[in-house]
Amino acid sequence: MKKRNALASMALAGALVAGASGTGFAAAHAHAKVTLTGKTHGVTLTLMFGSSGPAETAAVNAAAKAWGKTSHNKVNVINASNLQQQLDQGFAGGTPPDVFYLSSTQMETLAKQGQLLPYASLVGPAKQFYPALVKAFSYNHTWYCVPKDFSNLALEINTQMWKAAGLTNADIPKNWSQLQADAKKLTTGSVAGLSIGNTLDRIGAFFAENGGSYMNKTGTKFVFNSPANLQALNFVQSMAKQGIMKFPQQLGASWAGEAFGEGKAAMATEGNWIIGAMKSSYPSIKWEAVPMPAGPKGVKGTLTFTNCWGIPASSQHSAAAVNFVKYLASPAQQLRFANAFGVLPSRIATANLYAKRNPSVAAFVQGARYALPQVGTVGWPTVQASFDNQVLGLATGASNPATMLNQLEQNAQALLRP
Amino acid sequence: MTTAPLDSTPSASAATSPLPFLRGATHQRSSATRGHNVFGWLFVSPALAILLIFLVVPIGLALYVSFTDWSGVTSPFGSTVHFVGLANYRALLTQPGLTQSNFGTSIRNNFYYVLFTVPLQTVLALWLAIIVNNRFLKGRGLFRTAFYFPSVTSSVAITVVFIFLFQSGGAVNQILHGLFGINGPNWLYDTRGVFTLILNGLGVHNPPGWANGQFLGVTWWDWLAGPSLGMCVLIIQITWTTSGTFMLMFLASLQNISGEVEEAGAVDGASPWQRFRYVTLPMLRPTLVLVLTLGLISTWQVFDQIVLTGQNNATMTTPAYESYYVSFQDNAFGQGAAIAFMLFLLIVVLTLIQRRFVKEDLTK
Repeated sequence: MKKRNALASMALAGALVAGASGTGFAAAHAHAKVTLTGKTHGVTLTLMFGSSGPAETAAVNAAAKAWGKTSHNKVNVINASNLQQQLDQGFAGGTPPDVFYLSSTQMETLAKQGQLLPYASLVGPAKQFYPALVKAFSYNHTWYCVPKDFSNLALEINTQMWKAAGLTNADIPKNWSQLQADAKKLTTGSVAGLSIGNTLDRIGAFFAENGGSYMNKTGTKFVFNSPANLQALNFVQSMAKQGIMKFPQQLGASWAGEAFGEGKAAMATEGNWIIGAMKSSYPSIKWEAVPMPAGPKGVKGTLTFTNCWGIPASSQHSAAAVNFVKYLASPAQQLRFANAFGVLPSRIATANLYAKRNPSVAAFVQGARYALPQVGTVGWPTVQASFDNQVLGLATGASNPATMLNQLEQNAQALLRP
Repeated sequence: MTTAPLDSTPSASAATSPLPFLRGATHQRSSATRGHNVFGWLFVSPALAILLIFLVVPIGLALYVSFTDWSGVTSPFGSTVHFVGLANYRALLTQPGLTQSNFGTSIRNNFYYVLFTVPLQTVLALWLAIIVNNRFLKGRGLFRTAFYFPSVTSSVAITVVFIFLFQSGGAVNQILHGLFGINGPNWLYDTRGVFTLILNGLGVHNPPGWANGQFLGVTWWDWLAGPSLGMCVLIIQITWTTSGTFMLMFLASLQNISGEVEEAGAVDGASPWQRFRYVTLPMLRPTLVLVLTLGLISTWQVFDQIVLTGQNNATMTTPAYESYYVSFQDNAFGQGAAIAFMLFLLIVVLTLIQRRFVKEDLTK
């Protein structure tokens, strides 16, 4: 991963290329040095975020207050009910918030329009953060914003059902055939052995485990229609057809965590957000998380979901905003956020420290080195929706894996055409 | 009449016009009427300004956006927004691809939804109105309230209840299983069309050769599939919720029909059915046209229910939902606006056709 570590220094070259090709990038970016504007104290910043619940809201408010006090600034915190829509409105109206949560799937839209400040390398060298996350927030070889935190998929196991089925620690699935055997043993009349969400955002983990991917290494072409991905999707379908793996909708649940919590599934594939849900909604269920099993060739794989701290290119207070993000992305503050609402620190050293102190999250952290990020290409949500809509049909046989992958690649490839 | 001084010109139509300044002003050049004109416009100007700012300008802006690649994160007149001509419309109508097939599918879904919902809700509303209009019915007030109640309840709340009723292990499937031993389908996620299911039952499983042709990126076999089981749930739900509103309209006009007309029919020896068919129904015609037109327009614009149920089922999307999804999820507001204008055209054309075939007044 030497190449990724050198990414920050490559930003200059990348920005030069981008500037030269004249794709609408401001001339200032060609120097790769971001010019910050405004004072660093006595400023009022706006922070817009989308909250997962009271714990996150309180933690973000506390962080804003603490920084404001020490740096002699003021932060107005806006808890958006529909973050994406409110952000779009802010940008369209010319008054975006100074700092905001930005999902990796929305980053490219803003970066492409020249609306995002590529400040990330001012906060710290890229090598301190997980490479997959840095990659998720890079566009045209420029690293734009600092990853806030991340969540990874892992395999959750209901330990009571596990023991009742006569399974032991030795049976914890290391590969697909063990996963299939365990799921079979755990399946009873009313309980599915495994439940996964009916979306590429879960099934993609099986692609990664089989050595498959979404895009080629250089990110210039989608490679969904590969033998590795087809084999993975066929495996998912065979589990679904046998009835040992069920989608939440087949179990009358809205997501796999609900099916798992209500005891309708003995195993589930969800991210670390399930920790909070289990604690608050299903405290009586005994469970543990293990890393996702490897594929037939022993390849490890999982998916990662992440947000960054966005700063708009037009911000009048970017100097103060960058200082604020330096504080928010500091190791100490990342640990505070992790403890408060269960997200994983985006700094490698901090995440390792957090996993050491909280063994229950180790399985989620472990995948960070090899996790696949979501696709962020402009126009992607519709393409993925058309794939996701066919996933339930895998169980009934109405959908054909080869056709699904072929269509997905064609539709995705159409997005890359100018 | 107190308006007599305004009607100084001996025009017949003038006497009936409530807004004299809107009359053909060219014939009235006296300074007095000009003064009236100014004041007239002054008085309606607040209403006109509101219409202009909140209706005409946004529509014009949306039309402009539909010819651009506006992403929604800059000013629509900024330098990063490009004029793309008819490209957004081409992507819907002539260019094969995901945008076209999604659009075609949403039109197909909505077409069947309208085809079943409009007649069903109209007939049900009329039937309910006739029942609660019966003078000999006890507890009429209670029935009127009960039938009207679904209409005043939030459509989102009702849809959520329906999602629970029709989920895989929901009440509907439990009743089906308990009473008939049938394992019900996973209703809201079932993509199989009703007509296809009937054909499958008759032994036709594969589409004939001609049905593989495509229109708007959707094969003829899929066009003819009928509403999916998921869509049927929504058809049932909407019929149930909106029939109350339309019942009220029918009831109002039924109460305008004097009992003497009915009695005259009875004296002439008409049977109850004949009285309904040849006396009541013709007198309800204006209301019927109103209900059909409102029904047609609102069913083509269905949105709330789709946002809640259409997320996982491609056979339940509608153009209104496509427009929203493409705009706000893909940040392709130009494409979204183009879908909205195609829907607008479709509604206008269908309403014109409908008005041609169902005339409000038979004498014209």
